Amino acid sequence: MDDVPRSLADIQRWMQAALLAPGRVPYLAEVFTASATQSAEERFRVYHRGYRLRLLRCMRLRYPAMLHLLGRELFERFALDHLDANPSRSPVLDALGDDFPDHLARTRPDTADGGPPEEWIDLLIDLARFERDFTTVLDGPDTGEDGDALLFEARFPVHRYAAAVRHGQEPEPPGAQPVRLSLTRRDGTVVVHDPTDAGHRAHRATAPPSPAA
Amino acid sequence: MRLPCHGPDGRGGVIAPREAAGTGIRTGGTAPHLGFGLGLRGPHIPYIRAHRPPVDFFEIISENHLDPRSDRRRALDEIAEHYPIVLHGVSLSIGSIDPLDRDYLSRLKRLADAVDTPWVSDHVCWTGVLGVHTHDLLPIPFTEEALAHVVRRARTVQDVLERPLVLENPSSYVEFRASTLTEWDFLGRLAEEADCGLLLDVNNVQVSAVNHGFDPEVYLKALPHHRVTQMHLAGHTDYGTHLVDTHDAEVPGRVWELYRLAVELTGGAATVIERDDGLPPFRALEAELDRARSVAATAGAGTGRRG
Repeated sequence: MDDVPRSLADIQRWMQAALLAPGRVPYLAEVFTASATQSAEERFRVYHRGYRLRLLRCMRLRYPAMLHLLGRELFERFALDHLDANPSRSPVLDALGDDFPDHLARTRPDTADGGPPEEWIDLLIDLARFERDFTTVLDGPDTGEDGDALLFEARFPVHRYAAAVRHGQEPEPPGAQPVRLSLTRRDGTVVVHDPTDAGHRAHRATAPPSPAA
Repeated sequence: MRLPCHGPDGRGGVIAPREAAGTGIRTGGTAPHLGFGLGLRGPHIPYIRAHRPPVDFFEIISENHLDPRSDRRRALDEIAEHYPIVLHGVSLSIGSIDPLDRDYLSRLKRLADAVDTPWVSDHVCWTGVLGVHTHDLLPIPFTEEALAHVVRRARTVQDVLERPLVLENPSSYVEFRASTLTEWDFLGRLAEEADCGLLLDVNNVQVSAVNHGFDPEVYLKALPHHRVTQMHLAGHTDYGTHLVDTHDAEVPGRVWELYRLAVELTGGAATVIERDDGLPPFRALEAELDRARSVAATAGAGTGRRG
């Protein structure tokens, strides 16, 4: 079979394509040997499955409120769709999922066949944006009292939902209510200022579990 | 279990890495024996800061500390004031056909300099091509072509980092029909031709031995023992048809047996217990590290039996 990869370059390009592809992979038995207990296909599946499980775990840790909102099965369908379309190009896992909110906005399922935007997809995108920006501030340096705040606008008070999830509560999805927030970091803690909240309370939140501690 | 070079009680007679770091020396048996260390994991940092436990050194995942502004890096800087630190990476991708990532190497060099590590380790693998990172340690075919490629890149990396590169045998779950060398022959020739060190992951030897049906003792005996700069110990999961290197359990009995043999063969090397999932309290890992000390002591560590 002439197309069977044999050189180092061909093997790596083929194997990566096979890892990233969701479907059936050609030439597995021509490239890999079987073991006493597993076929070539079964052996390759260890890598194929491991790649997805590892990155999905990171995505769950990066987007805990989205995970709560969607449930694990649906969350992972969205996350896998993102990972398949945008494989990581960074040597560090901290950057994994940075583009997830933008991917959701580009590929929103409600408008894919020309339908009108649905509110729950708007909520999903706002929540993803908030969790990404929260992590950006958390991973950055302290901003201090007068430091540069990250300004965040949304159609839903997603910060309250995310904070409730972080505190182990079971919040209901919020209704539409535009918010304009600022996120700062003090002493390793992200402070969310919400001028629209009664009493201008500041929500403090510490780090979520890191995917790469 | 440990003793930092300037730390609590001096068990182990550890050589401070600062005596060897940054000298541009290659390994070839000249690397310091740092003693018995642990992988530094985030949940343990408060305990380490509070108690300064007697661990000879800590091994960090390089990629988690590349950002000098991060909290993780600040915590590392504090710990590095009290303990030797060695860098262990997962993204060098030494076997990839992509060009070496010079930006990554520059950041790695800055981190290595900042903590004054005596060597930098990574894996004999590739992690992606065409600019993609799979964040997995993918196997390379053991061919003359791959060997020449990895040797050439390992030499370049050592020149950039200005310190020894120490390459680890990863666990693997497939074997290539294209391979013409055994894994142990590949590693041995790689270390000699690149003039680099080996990080012998004893658990990975056992995992791959079961998955591929080779004798792990043959593997250990065939390596160039003077090239073994560091060893890893960890646990794995048995899925019935194969083992997976999960780092989520105690070091199993067979791995301890192989570690004893590895120490007998090499005369001992800096040893790290790796645990990533199912992280137990720090004291449980200290107890495992004490067992490693005990096994090494009775296996003749430090007797200089290197082949």
